[in-house]
Amino acid sequence: MSDKIKYAEAFEELQNIVGEIEKGEISVDELSVKVKRAAGLIRICKLKLSATEEDVERILKELDDSETDLENPADAGS
Amino acid sequence: MAEEISGRKIFSLLEVTTSIQKTIADRFKSSYWIKAEMNKLNYYPHSGHCYPDLVEKSGGKVIAQIRANIWSDDYQKINTGFLRILKEPLKDGIKILFLARITYRPEYGLALRIIDIDPAYTLGDLEKEKQETISKLHKEGVFEKNKSRKLALLPQRIAVISVLTSKGYADFLEVLGSAGKNYGFRFFYMLFPSLLQGEKAVSTIITQLRRIRKVARHFDVVAIIRGGGGDIGLSCYNHYHLAKEIALFPLPVVTGIGHATNETVTEMVAFENAITPTHLAEFLVRKLGEFQNRIEEAKDCIAEKTVRLVREEKLVLISETKLLHSATLNLLYRNRYRLSGHIVPLSQQSWHILRRRLESLALTRKDFGKWTGIHLTHEKQILDQQKSGLKRNCALSTERSGISLDNLEKRLAILDPKNVLKRGYSITLLKGKALKSIELVTEGDKLETLVFKGKIESIVQSKKRKSYE
Repeated sequence: MSDKIKYAEAFEELQNIVGEIEKGEISVDELSVKVKRAAGLIRICKLKLSATEEDVERILKELDDSETDLENPADAGS
Repeated sequence: MAEEISGRKIFSLLEVTTSIQKTIADRFKSSYWIKAEMNKLNYYPHSGHCYPDLVEKSGGKVIAQIRANIWSDDYQKINTGFLRILKEPLKDGIKILFLARITYRPEYGLALRIIDIDPAYTLGDLEKEKQETISKLHKEGVFEKNKSRKLALLPQRIAVISVLTSKGYADFLEVLGSAGKNYGFRFFYMLFPSLLQGEKAVSTIITQLRRIRKVARHFDVVAIIRGGGGDIGLSCYNHYHLAKEIALFPLPVVTGIGHATNETVTEMVAFENAITPTHLAEFLVRKLGEFQNRIEEAKDCIAEKTVRLVREEKLVLISETKLLHSATLNLLYRNRYRLSGHIVPLSQQSWHILRRRLESLALTRKDFGKWTGIHLTHEKQILDQQKSGLKRNCALSTERSGISLDNLEKRLAILDPKNVLKRGYSITLLKGKALKSIELVTEGDKLETLVFKGKIESIVQSKKRKSYE
């Protein structure tokens, strides 16, 4: 989850930097810092495309834990 | 024939039922179009015959019921018509308009023999049911709920509701797999097995959705995948409970349940209806592709804009430098020119001033000499005059003084005590001082009396006061 937030935030920040650069809001003084930051954000985003950290076993265990209290509401609705 | 026993006419069951059969056959000679609800189809695959339970309900209560039968040949014909028009097989729980004969067979009893069923009537009824589901969801304000969910930027974690062995699920995984191979995209998926068509699909899909709900934080999206079953048995997706469960699901639900002639309510309320499992997978891959493209665009944009920005800044700097250089030179030239304009007049004026001063100096010197001469002469004359005046005055004064001096001499000589003494006067001294009054002397004082050519010392014997009138 935290990873998801991280890449989504990274992406948003990246878009902001691009916006600033496109509008010419960045001075030459800041440019180097911003470009370096953007490179880091791009790396985070690209890494996310080729990785997920979910684990079937963990999800199954969570399901088993909650299965007992699932029975009743499931019947009630259908 | 009836036999007489103890005066009573007794019929066998067959005689009665045969009579009923005859009566009914005489009374109901033709076939009739009847509408009813088919509670159960009761299809027997072995014989191919069906024995449906038909009911009519009013206010939820059964007010009429009868058994029916559909012989194998009729069933085949009817079911084909249903599949063609309804995309549904003949099934339990539908309303039907059927052509039937009222039959009575002694061995089976009363039944309606269904010869034909009009699929259009059932279709209309199903459509009515579907419309009811739609309007109910709208009324409850949940129809657009799932559509308004926000799909994750990267829908990589997928909860799949499907059948492990279905072709649709295989198609779905193949697309994800090739996305991994071609682009390096990585997906996480987990199968939640369920029936996907027919009446039982409603409850099993709902059960799995509720399981997924429990672990929803591990997923970005739910995919309902059906495939390979043709486009029949999809009316379950119009079921109110299923459609509502999907509409209210906390994650976006994407459907790929195949080509239905009409979109089902489930597909309508889903976040996205991709229609086929392949399209569904492609939809998710495309989302990742879009993300990647945006990253690449951002990268390119930053690179291009950065280079341009630096280049522009450099140009500005160069032009500013040039401007500064030329402005400085310009200022220098202007000042030099202005200065050179001043040099000639300055020397000319200096000379002019100098010359004027010299002239004025020379003039002053001349005047000074002249005036000094005049002044000196004048002063000398005054001096001369004063000298002669002084001389004259002196002579005059000396002359006059000579006269008076003689007088003075004479008078002084008269006044000289010696001369006074000579003339017989004397001076009496008391203690060295001239005695000028009788009051100052007492008897016995020693007096000195100066006379011409000497002095006399005396002691006072007596004194006598004498007044001079």
